[in-house]
Amino acid sequence: MSVRHGLLALLRRGPRYGYQLRAEFEASTATTWPLNIGQVYTTLSRLERDGLVSRDEQGDRDEQGRVRYAITPDGRDELDRWFARPVSRADRPRDELVIKLAMAVTTPGVDVAAVIRAQRSATMRGLQELTRALRTLDASTEAAQRLVVDSMIFHAEAEQRWLDHCEAVLARPSEENP
Amino acid sequence: MTEPRSADRLPAPDGEPVVRMTGVVRVHGEGTGAVHALRGVSLDVAAGELVAVMGPSGSGKSTLLNLAGGLDRPTEGSVRLEGRELRDLSPEQLAELRRRSAGYVFQDLNLVPSLTVAENVALPRELDGVRTAKARREALAVLKEVGLADLGDRFPDDLSGGQRQRAAIARALVGERRLLLADEPTGALDTRAGDEIIQVLRQRADAGVAVLLVTHEPRYAAWADRVVFLKDGQIADSAAAGTETAR
Repeated sequence: MSVRHGLLALLRRGPRYGYQLRAEFEASTATTWPLNIGQVYTTLSRLERDGLVSRDEQGDRDEQGRVRYAITPDGRDELDRWFARPVSRADRPRDELVIKLAMAVTTPGVDVAAVIRAQRSATMRGLQELTRALRTLDASTEAAQRLVVDSMIFHAEAEQRWLDHCEAVLARPSEENP
Repeated sequence: MTEPRSADRLPAPDGEPVVRMTGVVRVHGEGTGAVHALRGVSLDVAAGELVAVMGPSGSGKSTLLNLAGGLDRPTEGSVRLEGRELRDLSPEQLAELRRRSAGYVFQDLNLVPSLTVAENVALPRELDGVRTAKARREALAVLKEVGLADLGDRFPDDLSGGQRQRAAIARALVGERRLLLADEPTGALDTRAGDEIIQVLRQRADAGVAVLLVTHEPRYAAWADRVVFLKDGQIADSAAAGTETAR
């Protein structure tokens, strides 16, 4: 995913200042995706270069002279294409844990069971924290934020199950490793 | 059935958890056929604490639960329930302590279908010798605590799976029992009803009950203050929630 498309989606609601985009981006991702203001302006200037946003010159400048940005027709088309296109697995960052465990299994002298145990405790602590975060969200919380936390809970849960699976598979005596 | 209550109930020494298991070993069978279900487990569950136990089948989860509630006795080691060493109790004393102190919730088959929900919840109290009217009042009070205030006169078959399980929790807690032992209580439920049940368990823990929960669902274990992973009859590792949840 890109911050690009996130900002385009926010601009689809109407022209925005950079600092507004940052606040709204973080709010809609339940502050799980912190964004610094530099990233926002760098992204906006690339979007402007590509003709997907424009400076809202008629719009009011705020008291510090900052300009608002608006989405262009090309920007809208790009946003529509983004929503229509499924996310492919290849677009997602590689999972360090998967690589680490694969390496642990094949590297001599590594206690794989200990790697799994340490990770499982850490993942469970993360899951406990997310669950606590979910419990503190009240009914007025925006659905978007709740769904972001839900997504992280499902992800942590899947990781936990996968670690259990790894442990079970590695505990099973195999022909090479009776 | 008519012996005095509460007077004979020794308060746990200050700071002692509701359940304290120390070096518990449980071996089923003997000789070459002996199965070591638990191999030296130490675990405390304090009042107000929700502890989840996870682990693969055969890791000793249910044995641990049965020992914690006095349904089974350890081969070696100590189990103290509300400050009383179970080893020192006669079978009659143990049965009584168990009835007064611990309540169980299983995956299913918790309720008697021919009794109303309130009658089901009142049943353990009536078995304790409490009069019907008082037992019913107690049952209705605890049904309210689990969000079933209006359903006491229904029959179990008229309730949803989640409501039945909440009634089972009420029955496990009636008579101010301070230890709730739950063995896969969400196992037969869909996720929405399961979420309801874990919330009720969490609320009861927050209200001061010691809850020991066996589950294979990470999403429910994550509601616990502490998660203990059992493997081959031993605690392999555990995860405690951050200090800001400490009471």
